[in-house]
Amino acid sequence: MAANRPIKFRILELCSNGGGKWNYEIVQQIQKEYGLKGNYHRDSINFDIIELASGGMLKDVEVKVDEEGIYKKGFLLHKYVLTDFGKIRAADACLVYV
Amino acid sequence: MDLQALKKQEHQRRVKKGYMWALFCAVLWGLWYLPGTAVWVLNPFDEMYGEIAAGSGDGMALVIVAVLITAFNALTVILALMVWNGALGKFGEMKRTIKEFKPCSKWFFLASIFGGPIAILGSFMAMGFVGGAFAAVAALMYPVVGSILASKWYGEKISRRAFAGIGLIIAGGFTIFGGGVLTELGNGNVMWLGYLGGLMAATGWGIEGAIAGKGLDIAEPDVGLTLRFLGENIIWWIIIVPVLAIMGFPMFKYALLAFEPLTLLVLVFAGITFGFCYVTWYKSFPLIGVGRGQGIGNLYGLFAVIFIFLFFGDVPSWTILVGGALCLLGSTVMFSEDTSEMESLRGD
Repeated sequence: MAANRPIKFRILELCSNGGGKWNYEIVQQIQKEYGLKGNYHRDSINFDIIELASGGMLKDVEVKVDEEGIYKKGFLLHKYVLTDFGKIRAADACLVYV
Repeated sequence: MDLQALKKQEHQRRVKKGYMWALFCAVLWGLWYLPGTAVWVLNPFDEMYGEIAAGSGDGMALVIVAVLITAFNALTVILALMVWNGALGKFGEMKRTIKEFKPCSKWFFLASIFGGPIAILGSFMAMGFVGGAFAAVAALMYPVVGSILASKWYGEKISRRAFAGIGLIIAGGFTIFGGGVLTELGNGNVMWLGYLGGLMAATGWGIEGAIAGKGLDIAEPDVGLTLRFLGENIIWWIIIVPVLAIMGFPMFKYALLAFEPLTLLVLVFAGITFGFCYVTWYKSFPLIGVGRGQGIGNLYGLFAVIFIFLFFGDVPSWTILVGGALCLLGSTVMFSEDTSEMESLRGD
């Protein structure tokens, strides 16, 4: 069911639960749901998240350095929540949210 | 290094990437002018022009031939985009996106109306009824329309500095083509159609960018762009070309004659440069915003002059050096902007 919608819709949906979600969690979950394997898809999903944040729909509430290499060693990990604008756009996109 | 510094660095990388895409767009757009200019003197388009001009006049012939060339351009662009999306493994995402018509893909189809028949046809009308330099200058105004719309409609932030940069690049473009405009304004006939065309070009591309920005909020740029060209192909091949054929213009006769090696080669070159110019344009929007992406994209005027000089040997005049300097200054103003302002491109 979930894997029928565009990836960015699903990302917004995943971030809409109150506490927010870490980017590596989102990437892993989407790779599993959509059957997208490998580093290329991993990076491309992460880039979708970056675009959503740059467009003002997601904002990070927590940042930490990836010391253990959960995602990419030495890079930053971000925990994202939906912004108010993101909620409006998510509602436009007919998410079950709101 | 502390977290804030790392965050800033990550953020600067994003902005740099956005500007890089926009710059590639300008280079490819400038490169497109080579096949875009050469295709007119190739058959069957040259012959078609002659036949229509004999019956309906030069201005009309130019617009009708432009329709067929643009339709072929759209066709080769979509071929290039299909290969691109195939290589990136994005057909699945394309299917998912096209199904979301109401929230998402309708924006790309709408963008194709403004970017296709309105902007491109308008630009050819400006060229046909006034002149090439006028058409180029008119088109340079599109980032003003795009950035104002994006800011009023969905609150895209555009700093004063970015706006100043866009202004300088436009002034540079005016200087590059300005002399030609004065000569052309003295010569043309049926001028109002040309002015209308100029207006269509400036507003069409500006509106396209703003609308596409809305769709790109929640879609993948490569996929969104392919849907936009799918829309444009439908408009040309299913609506406009058949309608013109019914009106008695020899559209299909010449369309079938286009399948000769040299013409096809030039059309494919046009498709690749135009297609990837659009890919990079759409990829820059989510990263640096519609206003900045379009402003840097406007450097195409400078690149077009450079490439035409390199390949066709048309020596540029001194005004072009002044215009080019203004373009470079405008880009520097934008590139050197402090990026911390741009963490999110939307105001809260």
